[in-house]
Amino acid sequence: MKQANSLIWRLLRQHISIGQLVGFFLANLIGMLIVLLSLQFYNDLVPAFSQEDGFLKNTYIIVSKRVSTVSMFDNNSSVFSNDEIDDIRQQSFTNSIGEFTASKYRIYASLSLSGAARMGTDMFFESVPDEFVDIDLDKWKFEEGDEEVPIILPRSYLALYNFGFAQSASLPKLTEGFISMVQMDLRLRGESERIELKGRIVGFSTRLNTILAPASFIRWSNQRLAPSSSTLPTRLIVEVKNPTDDNIARYMYDHDYELEDDKLDAGRTTYFLRIVAGIIIAVGLLISALSFYILMLSIFLLVQKNANKLENLLLIGYSPARVARPYQLLTISLNAAVLILAFALLMWLRSYYMTMLQQMFPDMEAGSLMPAIIVGLSLFVVVSLFNIFAVRGKVQNIWDRKD
Amino acid sequence: MKTITLHNTLPNVFSQRTDIVSDIWQRDVELERGKLYLIEASSGTGKSSLCSFLIGYRHDYQGSICFDGKDVRTLTQGDWVRIRQCSLSTLFQELRLFQELTAWENVQIKNSLTHFKEDAEVSRWFEALGIADKKDAKVGRMSFGQQQRVALMRALVQPFDFLLADEPISHLDDNNGRIMGELMTEEARKQGASVVITSIGKHIDLPYDKVFKL
Repeated sequence: MKQANSLIWRLLRQHISIGQLVGFFLANLIGMLIVLLSLQFYNDLVPAFSQEDGFLKNTYIIVSKRVSTVSMFDNNSSVFSNDEIDDIRQQSFTNSIGEFTASKYRIYASLSLSGAARMGTDMFFESVPDEFVDIDLDKWKFEEGDEEVPIILPRSYLALYNFGFAQSASLPKLTEGFISMVQMDLRLRGESERIELKGRIVGFSTRLNTILAPASFIRWSNQRLAPSSSTLPTRLIVEVKNPTDDNIARYMYDHDYELEDDKLDAGRTTYFLRIVAGIIIAVGLLISALSFYILMLSIFLLVQKNANKLENLLLIGYSPARVARPYQLLTISLNAAVLILAFALLMWLRSYYMTMLQQMFPDMEAGSLMPAIIVGLSLFVVVSLFNIFAVRGKVQNIWDRKD
Repeated sequence: MKTITLHNTLPNVFSQRTDIVSDIWQRDVELERGKLYLIEASSGTGKSSLCSFLIGYRHDYQGSICFDGKDVRTLTQGDWVRIRQCSLSTLFQELRLFQELTAWENVQIKNSLTHFKEDAEVSRWFEALGIADKKDAKVGRMSFGQQQRVALMRALVQPFDFLLADEPISHLDDNNGRIMGELMTEEARKQGASVVITSIGKHIDLPYDKVFKL
């Protein structure tokens, strides 16, 4: 068998054009590399824009009413009426809408660090519907009778403490991990009742400038501690279809609403990045397709030139599959070599740009390699399958004496 | 495969002709395993066509050709591959050797597919046919007569029920022709197979069971 293979290979390698194969190899390599590199770069860069907020998706925007000097003392001017909420809900850019609900009673929170300094402050809670909070729902729940309330804090609070307060008061700086382990004592004071609970910080958010508690907790506590106060929201969270949609800004401007605008930028940037990456990937795919065309032409030419030998092999009892195999193996090895080299180059280039990115975004996490690996392998499989069938088809033509 | 039968077979190119006088075309002919046949032809009587039809290389004929009663037009690609490997061996008039390979490799390319003969036996054939010194020579450098002997050996390194030898000795002297005839009939006898030899004029003297005029 081995001998037959080597003899057949010696026959069929005649007329192989090294120049054409090198041309294919380079073209395919460039195409593959462009596809993989743009995909990987996109994957690596996106976390830099969105990594800071795991709790809110980029398609969420937060809407509030503009506070003017005139309206400063009118409490009702900053709340959204039901009509206004319905109007936003009916806009074409809206996917879904949720209300911020604030706590209507007084809260005093205190924190003791290993029994030493005891810090306390008056504070408040807000909630948004649970489906807007992108967190494990096991961690994010409160039922009546629970001792502990999960809380999400703005990351800026921690920065404020660490770089402002702790620095000047010679207190230790706190890490997010450490804070998450500490329990807070909460004292809730309503119209007629007091409740004592524990609070646990389950995460930090840059997108949300508020102290977030589960919706079920706010509902329960408001009902119990402040049954008489109104519950119209002052801020809304809106899931939009496309954060770069101009209509959003126009609508907000027309209605004198305020967007927490910078939060939209990350969404816009990733959207823009996605478009650019998409275009580059398309160019890469086009180059890959052209290189595939070169390879097919080259192989067809080869089959044509060796048609006599192929025919003789078929007539002395070789099967078409067997005769096609050397050329199929040739194309598969070329494709595999391209894939491996493209990955090697990808890793090399990636190490360069990652150093740069890490200087720009120090606490950035690298994106996953999986999408690039999956796309690379799929390209390899698809192109190889095409090659296999094309070569087999050509040999079949020789069997059928079509050429 | 026990029989090859032709029913009213005629190459398409002859379909307009009315003057065909032949023992094969437009007749019912049966070739049986184990027998020795000679098909004598003149130029232009369709000898090459007949061989092409029998090995499934061409199908441009009227009537039918059957292997063991099965119309060859119904055979699949896989059937043909099996038949060419195990049932029907061919010594092509145009030889169809690989010019880039040596004489020995040309035989091996078939033998390594079928694993039918030991190297030692093939070496003995090279001796008997008088081309032992050409074993490692490129076939492209050999004379047509020498190439015919290589092609014969390649045809013999497989099991067969029918050996179709298309003008096997056209370029050989009588002595080499006789040796070739002996080799073919001996191999066929061992396998209980049939040999079908075609010739234009010159042919090997063998005890043919039947001679057809094409």
